[in-house]
Amino acid sequence: MMDWQLKPARDLGLSGRDRLRSLSREPGLPAAAIAFLWRRLLRGYLALFHGLRVSGVEHLPPPPFVLIANHASHLDALTLSAVLRGAAARRAFVLAAGDTFFTSLPMAAFAAHAINALPIWRRRTRSSDLTTLRMRLLEDRLVLVLFPEGTRSRDGAIARFQPGIGALIAGTAVPVVPCWIEGAFAAWPAQRRLPRPGPLSLRIGAPLRFETAENGRAGWETVATACEAAVGDLAPGA
Amino acid sequence: MAGEPFIAPIGVMLASPVTIWILAAVFAVVAGAALVIAGLSLTGAAAPAMRRELRLRLLSWCWLLPLMFGPVLAGRVWTIAAVTALGLLCFREYARATGLFRDWVIIGAVLLGVLAVNFAVLDHWYGFFVALWPLTVGVIAIASIPVDRPAGYIQRSALGVFGYMLFGAGLAHLGYMANDPGYRPILLMLMATVALSDVAAFTFGKLIGGPKLLPATSPNKSVAGALGALATTTAVVAFLAAAVFQGTNMDKPHWLVCFGLIVGIAAQAGDLMLSSIKRDIGIKDMGVTLPGHGGVLDRFNSLLLVAPAAFHFIGYFVGFGLQQPTRLITGG
Repeated sequence: MMDWQLKPARDLGLSGRDRLRSLSREPGLPAAAIAFLWRRLLRGYLALFHGLRVSGVEHLPPPPFVLIANHASHLDALTLSAVLRGAAARRAFVLAAGDTFFTSLPMAAFAAHAINALPIWRRRTRSSDLTTLRMRLLEDRLVLVLFPEGTRSRDGAIARFQPGIGALIAGTAVPVVPCWIEGAFAAWPAQRRLPRPGPLSLRIGAPLRFETAENGRAGWETVATACEAAVGDLAPGA
Repeated sequence: MAGEPFIAPIGVMLASPVTIWILAAVFAVVAGAALVIAGLSLTGAAAPAMRRELRLRLLSWCWLLPLMFGPVLAGRVWTIAAVTALGLLCFREYARATGLFRDWVIIGAVLLGVLAVNFAVLDHWYGFFVALWPLTVGVIAIASIPVDRPAGYIQRSALGVFGYMLFGAGLAHLGYMANDPGYRPILLMLMATVALSDVAAFTFGKLIGGPKLLPATSPNKSVAGALGALATTTAVVAFLAAAVFQGTNMDKPHWLVCFGLIVGIAAQAGDLMLSSIKRDIGIKDMGVTLPGHGGVLDRFNSLLLVAPAAFHFIGYFVGFGLQQPTRLITGG
């Protein structure tokens, strides 16, 4: 008798509407094809209108890993998801604010299909949500793109990192890759409705590991502080 | 066929009296069910949860029936398009339930096969239609070799082949029937009697009860339900087929009963096959597309094995579209 590994989709039994907002969403071939086309389009746009320059690509480890950066613009998530290649690009999910991207259905459909976004509900994130993400990061060998400041900076300056990043990876072997994005605030600050052309550059730093960090409040704070320092160190003139 | 109208004129749609009988019977059943549910609600006879479930089912039927019968009445191209869409939807549910959807290479190979076999149907090219079965199996077998990940090779290839067999090669037989000008009563008969088989099994099972059929596979099915459904389906199919195939070699009582038995057995086998798949995976429904039914596959499982069986039985005596032009697209 053979025992096969029949593993149904994690989001099996959810309606299309619920799937969009589910942290268990697993894209199939059609969704992957849409995301692939979107990525191509995005790379073209970033090269053409923002002359995107990237340094430190060699620091990107094989999946799973967590990609973090300073956050001052909607261009940030687009930039980070556009630079990933191969398996990392296919397995990348962007953690996006639920109240901004997942309240209206067309926006949720766009966020889910194009950028492969997963919703994080600010100030009402349940611990079970973080447990789900932590489990999927390890089991599905995902790449999670997230902004530990929790919101876009309104003046371009980096803010305190929230401890949520620690809850995802403290005590695991999953590396965190710090990045600095320069120019996004000038091109598309939170106050503007649409972006304007302007130079963008992305600096990718060496991965950080928190295998020995305690998976608890104190450990999470330590992780957040270390990540904040690593991202800050990549800033020009730091 | 060349010069076929966008939508068939009403006279062509209803050319066969059997078409009219089936449409009238289905309409009567839906109307009757609506009355019964309304009665249950007014008298409060059934539990609210049961009433809700029945209402959901009826509501699903109300938009599902036009989607099923509409294309068949409208014409050949519509029918083939609908069968293709059904095959793709069923395969999607199957792939997500078995986990095959994570193997994008195999998924791509099966999708290619499903589209190709339905193209062969549209083209009315029987040779290619038949050839695609071994050819697609070959493509599926080769597809994941370049990935250089032998672990799980047999499982993913087998799941792919099984999926193509059921939702590509098998289901496409329904579309192929539309290459015959007299396909409407045949397709409507198969769709209606397969649904009848489900209803009859449920009804006989509830009325008579008794020993379970295969308790580990499907705990709700009883032997009485299965036999009752088989007898009902056989009788109704034989009766309708007598009218549809009047004057052909198939128009003999023993062949008509044989045809009825084939449809009745294949319908229940398809149902039990999906139950086995679901039990093996450990899930209850394949999806949530059709409220009250579950997924698309939960509704159409009985048709999967009926399609090729009925096609080749009829093909042995009568054939499909033998007088019609072939290679409509590739023929130049």
